[in-house]
Amino acid sequence: MKTFAELNFPGRLIAVEGLDGSGKSTQIYLLKRWLELQGLRVYFSEWNSSELVKAATSKGKKRELLTPTTFSLIHATDFADRYERHLVPLLRAGYIVLCDRYIFTAFARDVVRGCPPEWVRGLYNFAALPDLTFFFKADLEVSLQRILDGRPQLKYFEAGMDLRLSTDPYESFRIFQGRMLEQYLAMSTEFNFLVIDANQLVENQQAVVRELVAQKLSLENFVRAERPPPRPHAETRKPPRAAKRLLHAEEAVE
Amino acid sequence: MKRAAQNQIVVPRRTERRFYGHGIPKVELDRLAGRLIVVEGADGSGRSTQIAMLVEWMEGSGHASVQVGLKRSTLVSEELEQAQQGNILSRTTLSLFYATDFADQLENIILPALKAGFIVLADRYIYTLMARDMVRGMDETWLKNLYGTALEPDAVFYLNVPPEELVQRNFAKNAGLDYWESGMDLGLSRDMFDSFMKYQTAMAKTFRYLQSIYGFTIVEGMRSVDAVNAELRKKIGAVLAGK
Repeated sequence: MKTFAELNFPGRLIAVEGLDGSGKSTQIYLLKRWLELQGLRVYFSEWNSSELVKAATSKGKKRELLTPTTFSLIHATDFADRYERHLVPLLRAGYIVLCDRYIFTAFARDVVRGCPPEWVRGLYNFAALPDLTFFFKADLEVSLQRILDGRPQLKYFEAGMDLRLSTDPYESFRIFQGRMLEQYLAMSTEFNFLVIDANQLVENQQAVVRELVAQKLSLENFVRAERPPPRPHAETRKPPRAAKRLLHAEEAVE
Repeated sequence: MKRAAQNQIVVPRRTERRFYGHGIPKVELDRLAGRLIVVEGADGSGRSTQIAMLVEWMEGSGHASVQVGLKRSTLVSEELEQAQQGNILSRTTLSLFYATDFADQLENIILPALKAGFIVLADRYIYTLMARDMVRGMDETWLKNLYGTALEPDAVFYLNVPPEELVQRNFAKNAGLDYWESGMDLGLSRDMFDSFMKYQTAMAKTFRYLQSIYGFTIVEGMRSVDAVNAELRKKIGAVLAGK
């Protein structure tokens, strides 16, 4: 498997990985804002967010229809849809693509669910590797606490209840997350994860992330030609208010 | 005496089972007492007619049967249909969507039915899915890994009907050709008839290739419905008797 740079794509893909509650989504959001505010071409894509596949996935989850195999396949379908319709064309067009979770999430999760590792890796071998992969490594207790403090209602699959690890969702979640962490750590060297200490303050982590990105990518290659950030409506996370202001400011100048 | 022999119900003999690849986690293969029979062939090859007749015959012979087919899963069939209507899925996505549909039926219908000793009749199986993807240029190794989840059937019958006849049968039935069965997404020709012929020719060629790997039984489809059914019954009878 090769990275997008090795495949001579003009764009670059940056992925973040980590346990639920590791703070990776906050970090990639801040990274995105930093890149956008420099006027760079940036696109953000989130795991399990393809419009096409979403209906089937949520039905499967709600009605607990999913087995480890179909759980794996439906997420691979979601990924393929985003990969072929958004990521690849944007990378061809020279974008910096930010992914909140990439194939490593499947490698860890599906294997914990009992799918054969070679099978899962085979499913995703149509995808190129990220140019940079940040792994947010928090102590298991820290990430568990962040989730358990904020969202006491754990969902069935999220808590790994389908694995019958425990009848208590909290206990099940703990064991499940612990196994995920083991899988991630085992992949860390093989896939050149840039490991960030996620027990640190948000600002400290972000400073390291930005420094590494600036060091490893030639950001000047991604400057957009006097256009506002693309598709602000495609956002699923916090509305990029600063970006909207920028957009209005540019319109005013014109 | 003769009558008694006719009423005798053949109890299927047990045989070795295996998955094509990694299979489905935690399945105990030796507990699958039923039989999996697959009928493959293009649209218009007579599959549905033959399967309906086989069900009659099997039930008459004292076998419980269940039918599965493509795009019939609870999990994704509706969504898959919807997505195909819009023709907006790229090829890897479509391929994985079908694989999800297949795996859902495998785990929720085929395997439980086999465990309960049913005869499962599959109206197409992974071979059609693989052939479609291969014609669209997908990697064969990738597909083999993807469908390594599949259980090896007890018998696979491919109803062989040349494209020239398929096109006639499709017209007789619908007075039109299906977008996907004509391979219109491939851009082989803007003329639908032309595209259908080219696509079905390519599919038939791919099936011949897959036959060399998976060894299915080719059944000549250019005969009367009854003649084809008699041959299928004879061959399935032999499978059930463990011959």
